Amino acid sequence: MDIQLKTTFLGKEYASPLVLASGVLGLTADSMRRVLDAGAGAVTTKSFGLVPRKGHPCPAVLPYDSGLLNAVGLSNPGVDEMVKEIRKLRDHSGTSGIFASVFGRTHEEFGEVTRQAVESEPDLIEVNVSCPNVSSEFGSPFAASERDVEKITRIVKKAAGKIPVSIKLTIHCPSLIKMARICEENGADAITAINTVGPGMLIDTGVMKPVLANKVGGVSGPAIFPLALKAVYEICGNTALPVIGTGGVRTADQAVQMIMAGASMVSIGSAVYYGDIEIFSRINRGIYTWIEERNIEDLKSIRGVVHE
Amino acid sequence: MSDQMKTYPVLNIISHSPVMKSFYFKQPEPDIQSGRFFNVWLPGVDEKPFSVSDVFQGIMEITVKAVGPFTRKLMNVRRGDLLGLRGPFGKGFSHHQHALLIGGGMGIVPLRYLARQLRTLGFHFEVLLGGRCAQDIPFQNDFSEWAPTTFVTDDGSLGYKGLVTDYMQDKILESRLSFIYSSGPEAMLVKVMDLATQAGLDYEISFERYMKCGIGICGQCVVDGSGIRLCKEGPVLTRLEAEKVNEWGMPHRDATGRRTSH
Repeated sequence: MDIQLKTTFLGKEYASPLVLASGVLGLTADSMRRVLDAGAGAVTTKSFGLVPRKGHPCPAVLPYDSGLLNAVGLSNPGVDEMVKEIRKLRDHSGTSGIFASVFGRTHEEFGEVTRQAVESEPDLIEVNVSCPNVSSEFGSPFAASERDVEKITRIVKKAAGKIPVSIKLTIHCPSLIKMARICEENGADAITAINTVGPGMLIDTGVMKPVLANKVGGVSGPAIFPLALKAVYEICGNTALPVIGTGGVRTADQAVQMIMAGASMVSIGSAVYYGDIEIFSRINRGIYTWIEERNIEDLKSIRGVVHE
Repeated sequence: MSDQMKTYPVLNIISHSPVMKSFYFKQPEPDIQSGRFFNVWLPGVDEKPFSVSDVFQGIMEITVKAVGPFTRKLMNVRRGDLLGLRGPFGKGFSHHQHALLIGGGMGIVPLRYLARQLRTLGFHFEVLLGGRCAQDIPFQNDFSEWAPTTFVTDDGSLGYKGLVTDYMQDKILESRLSFIYSSGPEAMLVKVMDLATQAGLDYEISFERYMKCGIGICGQCVVDGSGIRLCKEGPVLTRLEAEKVNEWGMPHRDATGRRTSH
């Protein structure tokens, strides 16, 4: 099972192409360790900033018929605490496979958080420029503006030193292809695509009020898989950067689709709701079976195959 | 289990004390296991997890004490108002013969429904309940009617004066009890676990942590040492599960995820 799923990403080897997406179970070392033990090749921390944040009141995560809405609001214990948790995870498991997701309120803050985060030596800094749930406080996401993405990419790249940087993009920008190229031109090592979509909303018809405390929240889960897949396809067709494909993946077949569209790794978030933590081993097994049945050597041979 | 938001009218309300009330709803889901919880949404305010205190004849009861801004606002809810209910979430109590139910303060709430279920099964059980004062201990009549019940209060206003854990060993020995259920303040639970282990007894304990999603994905209620999510694998843990956790008695993580002692 090992050989076929082994994935090289930015010069490092991972046991599986599957990654735990940011925002799901990524708050503490022991929580992330459990996900690694369950078969993820890597885990992404919850996005963290310079200082602790409480986030929005609840309901903050809400299932609906075709996916999840969330407006957690970037709650996090702050970089000091997260650096400790990342170190603890590294000490405990001795593994690689820890991606640190950072955010800032300003361009400079992205750099400052990154400078502190690299002390814990994560394998990747993932830059969350695309959270859709804090616009009342931060304004529209940086990922909607080419100028912001350019500046933040440069600042984070400089702050990250030798640790590679992936910019997490949203489909809500004038041109995703252009945005990906801007990341590439300004030194990003990878792109994570996509963040949640929308935001969207749900109303309770009994009390005639929006259900999410924040009224609106990013849409994830099955509903957004085709949007994410197309975004990954476009980025992989127009830049040379490796891509972490994420958005609504919950089956091995969908993970394989992501890889065929060009993704190097595939991130799993909302699927933890649908399939629990065992979803990682289940998708691993499914990919393995898919490879076995077709006499394909490894995932590399099908990566980006639809572009040929 | 219903994870999606649905609002239900409050059918009735009773006051246990100036700061404690029970709210009654049409039972939202069949076969609710005791120890499981619902996320209760006060529209426009917040949503928090509450253990079920009873299900009887198609009516579900949720019992709340005013301890913070949210629960204080819940005290103003009136009959006929709509509250959102999602659940039942988590894992509850399994059923054992010859058990001692040890409850402290609002930890008594899930034990009340457990007692109802054990009684319905015809199981033998006894009860040990504690609080700061008599007013802190709800459902005194039900427990007393259903099982041999001992009360302990800090101020001696009901039953013995002291802590429930002072009376635990005697109760186990006198009545030859073989299983412990407990719920209450964590300092009490740590002591209960110690005493149960010394006595060689198995237990199930309901723990409390700050929760956000209730559906096992946000990671806010994960306890150190195990990666157990209390909203999913808990809030009731078996002895084997509880022994893997190494943060009992430590300050809980707050909404940011930091450990803070209030």
